Amino acid sequence: MSMSEPLFDPLAWLILLPLAWATLAFVLGPGRGAWPAIAGLATQCWLALDLAQKVGAGGTAAHVVGGWGAPLGIDLAVDGLSAAMLLLTQAVALPLAIYARSYFKPGDPAGTWFWPLTGFLIAGLNALFVSADLFNLYVTLELVGLAAVGLVAAGGGAQQVAAALRYLFATLVGSGAYLLGVALIYGAYGTVSIATLLPLVTDDAPRLAWIAGGLMVAGLMLKTALFPFHFWLPPAHGGAPAPVSALLSALVVKASFYLILRLWLGPLQAVLPAFAWLMALLGAAAIFWGSWQAIRAVKLKRLIAYSTVAQLGYLFLIFPLLAAPGAIHAGVMQVFAHGLAKAGMFAAAGVLIKATGQDTVAGLAGAVERLPVTMFAFGLAGMTLMGLPPSSGFLAKWQIIEAALAQGHWIIAAVVLAGGLLAAVYVLRVLRQAFLMAPASATLAPVPRTLEWSAFALAAASVLLGLRGVELMQLPGAVT
Amino acid sequence: MKRRVLVAFVLTLALAFVFLLAGAMLDLGPTTIDLRAPVAAHLAQSGVTHPVTAVLLNYRGYDTLLEIAVLLVALLALLAVVGDAPVPPSRAAHPVLQTLARLATPLMIVVAVYLLWAGAFRPGGAFQAGAVLAAAAVLLHLVGLQPGWSRPRLGLRIGLAAGFVLFLAVATGLLTQGSLLQYPPAAAGVLILLIESGLTVSLALILASLFLFLSREEGA
Repeated sequence: MSMSEPLFDPLAWLILLPLAWATLAFVLGPGRGAWPAIAGLATQCWLALDLAQKVGAGGTAAHVVGGWGAPLGIDLAVDGLSAAMLLLTQAVALPLAIYARSYFKPGDPAGTWFWPLTGFLIAGLNALFVSADLFNLYVTLELVGLAAVGLVAAGGGAQQVAAALRYLFATLVGSGAYLLGVALIYGAYGTVSIATLLPLVTDDAPRLAWIAGGLMVAGLMLKTALFPFHFWLPPAHGGAPAPVSALLSALVVKASFYLILRLWLGPLQAVLPAFAWLMALLGAAAIFWGSWQAIRAVKLKRLIAYSTVAQLGYLFLIFPLLAAPGAIHAGVMQVFAHGLAKAGMFAAAGVLIKATGQDTVAGLAGAVERLPVTMFAFGLAGMTLMGLPPSSGFLAKWQIIEAALAQGHWIIAAVVLAGGLLAAVYVLRVLRQAFLMAPASATLAPVPRTLEWSAFALAAASVLLGLRGVELMQLPGAVT
Repeated sequence: MKRRVLVAFVLTLALAFVFLLAGAMLDLGPTTIDLRAPVAAHLAQSGVTHPVTAVLLNYRGYDTLLEIAVLLVALLALLAVVGDAPVPPSRAAHPVLQTLARLATPLMIVVAVYLLWAGAFRPGGAFQAGAVLAAAAVLLHLVGLQPGWSRPRLGLRIGLAAGFVLFLAVATGLLTQGSLLQYPPAAAGVLILLIESGLTVSLALILASLFLFLSREEGA
């Protein structure tokens, strides 16, 4: 299809559409542009599904920008892994857009430029997932990073701007290290095209390739907020408005993880696997530290943000296991499980904060009685994070344990099990508080139904995905 | 004392990194792939005669398209933070400075137009031209002839986005040729000049905005 009908190539339109509605939203002015965004995202969902079906049927999709071909031009390519990431991005962004339209009241300073920033963020993510060029990937990283910082800072007080500034430094240092790595690769091999580099970077790669690989991965680890580089995440994700926290936790941190995986399996496969156990060690530390901080957190959104730190840790447990194909399946399933569940959880937290007018776990007493849909959504998302069957989180953790035991790494299986128990502690801590009787004086502000139901849809999807997980996991079977 | 140890530690690490990098770069041989040959070989079809412009607007024009989006996002992030504060009245500078700025501005506009036009065959182009125009706006602001901006009105928003919209429209339209930004060689020169002209105006406005929207902070 991409050859016969270039005008309707879904790959190109997944980048063009969000750029178009983002720009339209900017021209329309402050606070405007929700409907073009929702219409655009609905179309993008359909495009991503179309692409995933084609790739799932054994094909790959490519787009030779400018018609030059690598290494002179830039190539875009979609394999199973990219198709899965594209699908997740559109599937999370659409319900969140519907949520955000009700969340930001007219005149809310936090929502002034939400729509154009979100459009550019989604365009950057889509462009990142399809790019097959290391320098082009850097440009997409900058687009994603700056849009995310803008969303965190929007309309906030001094504390929120400080969190955004810290996030800006982290993301700039991260992409700076990545760019230095790309420059070294270009210096050593004369190309930045992934396909061209693939046969060139061999086991006897020069020292420069090792330094480059280390710099690129270190920069991306900082952007993924892997322990101990997570310092910027809790204030940024915990302080932003709920739709922004959801977008950031569900999608943005996954983009740099995707890129690490892409480099690991692709152009730097001769270099990076030497660091596999270091990655797993940091992943395990992230699970314990993030969960512990979530258990101790006073504020609800801070708790959810620390839970993101912990859940990202699972993604890094797969690196020593990559010899088995199940490891990549587990990684993709965990990306989906956490993406959907965390988006749903932050969305639910946004409802609770709007209704109770405060952001502490202690203030949730009586929430189950008054906001049953929202608390049910929170519970479903929590189920996925804990890894209870039949949720997608269960499937992801099961796959990691299976791959670990098959290769004799029982220690990884033990970490996964312990992480599930710790997740249960912080999720049940919130639920227990919500089941308590409300103080007689407590009043709840009315909350639009759309907010409750879009949070519920995301959380329910994270559980139901577990029932249809096989099709999804077959998708990244074809990583090229 | 503790701070000193920390500074020494960081400095040592940085120095070690520099030596590691320099050492690794010294034993580099010639690269496997040399892109200078293909860049030169396709120059005739690229629509321009300067290799750097050919790379930026044609071979890797897609990078440039996304970079313009990055600049717009930087401005959006700034607008999202500063909100709607009133603009302080600008202080007029010394009359001599004002006269100099009035004299320099037309010259800077001429230089910008020249840079834009020269980009096709020598170093220059939309980024440089836009930067000179933006500098002219900043100069006028510093001498008190151009007040700071408080909020982007419709006209300004259209101007800020126009260059990107034009670029995006050309990239999309060229899908009919087979792929994004696939210029037909005969029309490449005209299309690139069109894109660069639009970008000059919008980049000038974006760069000037980054300064003029922040200027109200000084009064607050």
